Amino acid sequence: MNEFQAGVALVVRLLLLAVLTGMLWRGKVRYCWAFAAYVLAALLGNTLVSLWPDRFFNPSFWMFKQGVYDVLKVAIALELAWRSFGAFPGALRTARRVLLALLAVSTLAIVWLGSPSSYETLWEWQPPVATAALWLLTVTALMVVWYQVPVNGWQRAIMLGLAPYLLVFVSLLGVLERRGWALAGEFFATAETLAYLALVAFWAWAAWRRDPVPAAAVPVGSLA
Amino acid sequence: MTLELVLSSVGCALLCYTLGRYNRALTLQRWQFVLNAPEREAIESLRQRMAVDSALARQALEAAGRAREASRPPDALTVLRVALSVLEEAGADRLTRLRAMGVYSRMVRAISPLPPPSAAPFQGTELRAAASVAGLVHRLLVGTQERFRLWLLVLGLGVRIVLRGGRRSADAAGREPQRLQHWDAFARGVDDFEALDACHLTAFEALAASLAAVDRGGRLRLWERIVGDAG
Repeated sequence: MNEFQAGVALVVRLLLLAVLTGMLWRGKVRYCWAFAAYVLAALLGNTLVSLWPDRFFNPSFWMFKQGVYDVLKVAIALELAWRSFGAFPGALRTARRVLLALLAVSTLAIVWLGSPSSYETLWEWQPPVATAALWLLTVTALMVVWYQVPVNGWQRAIMLGLAPYLLVFVSLLGVLERRGWALAGEFFATAETLAYLALVAFWAWAAWRRDPVPAAAVPVGSLA
Repeated sequence: MTLELVLSSVGCALLCYTLGRYNRALTLQRWQFVLNAPEREAIESLRQRMAVDSALARQALEAAGRAREASRPPDALTVLRVALSVLEEAGADRLTRLRAMGVYSRMVRAISPLPPPSAAPFQGTELRAAASVAGLVHRLLVGTQERFRLWLLVLGLGVRIVLRGGRRSADAAGREPQRLQHWDAFARGVDDFEALDACHLTAFEALAASLAAVDRGGRLRLWERIVGDAG
């Protein structure tokens, strides 16, 4: 880990702390518990690598933490869908079918691509898993608009932040695959860290932002 | 990897486009409308508005006919254009309401069933053909929501067909004021517009009945959930 990467990692750590405290302070943590778990996991992974680089700054730990992040990203997408459509049985029924189909197709595609070596498998899984997580978010967003389901600013910010980051991540993995680690490894690490820095900065801003108060429940009292 | 890159790019673009345009305040307003279920007064007010539009168009058409019979073609054409502008304004109002009804129909779980579209009430060839095709498609669809949206589609198409025909007839009458055929075509258009309005009202009543079918307690709980979660 060079000095620049260490410096960016420190800023990312501070921003992750800001996201966590902002979510707790503004009471936004209850809108997506899986996201809180993801931020905690990211904070822990960043701290371990920064404080004990000799032990944790290596490909096997990177793979392990990436596996944990992948599971949590999928969990975020599913929890956001469940929270968005939970109150709307018609939309929930459709969402369940569509998301299950998407998960089944993604799982089949990932298993199909897998190679016998576990280390290689985990590496090869990264692009399809990131794509699957992105599409889970996309389907949720499309259904939110189709059924006109209300989602709050924080849930929207999580989706709007994660999707472009996942796209950057998949693109960088593509560069890495074509050029190899020896040529593009440094570029990959720096670009990925900067993209993640931008993502966490956006989330920190969204976590601390005060959401506008929703319309008062006046109409309910006057329901026919 | 290329496939993943393409899929990720498409997914990201779709998500950013849909959520970027998403308007929470407007969504809450729409739910407010859905949970308040339009009352009888709203339907009555729409019925009155349709009656006024129809009376205005018909009155202007009759005045144009009288002017034509009195051999005053320029006056007749001026009044015919007034009739057309009444139809155009009413058509814009109907298209806006049809679009809104399309959005609300997705928010309501069950829509009261409507009869299959039929060519019987219409006179225009294009409109009759569209209604006949829609009647066939209606039989192939299973869900009441899909059938309701097909109705909205047919009504929107019908308003556009009638307005286009009206403009064409008015232009033709301007070129050949003595030919009765163009005036009759315009009059048939007004008849079709009235028939479309009757269907429009039936669809609006079906939507209102579906909204009102959600029980009061259920609506109250849903609104609390919406506002609570959206806070």
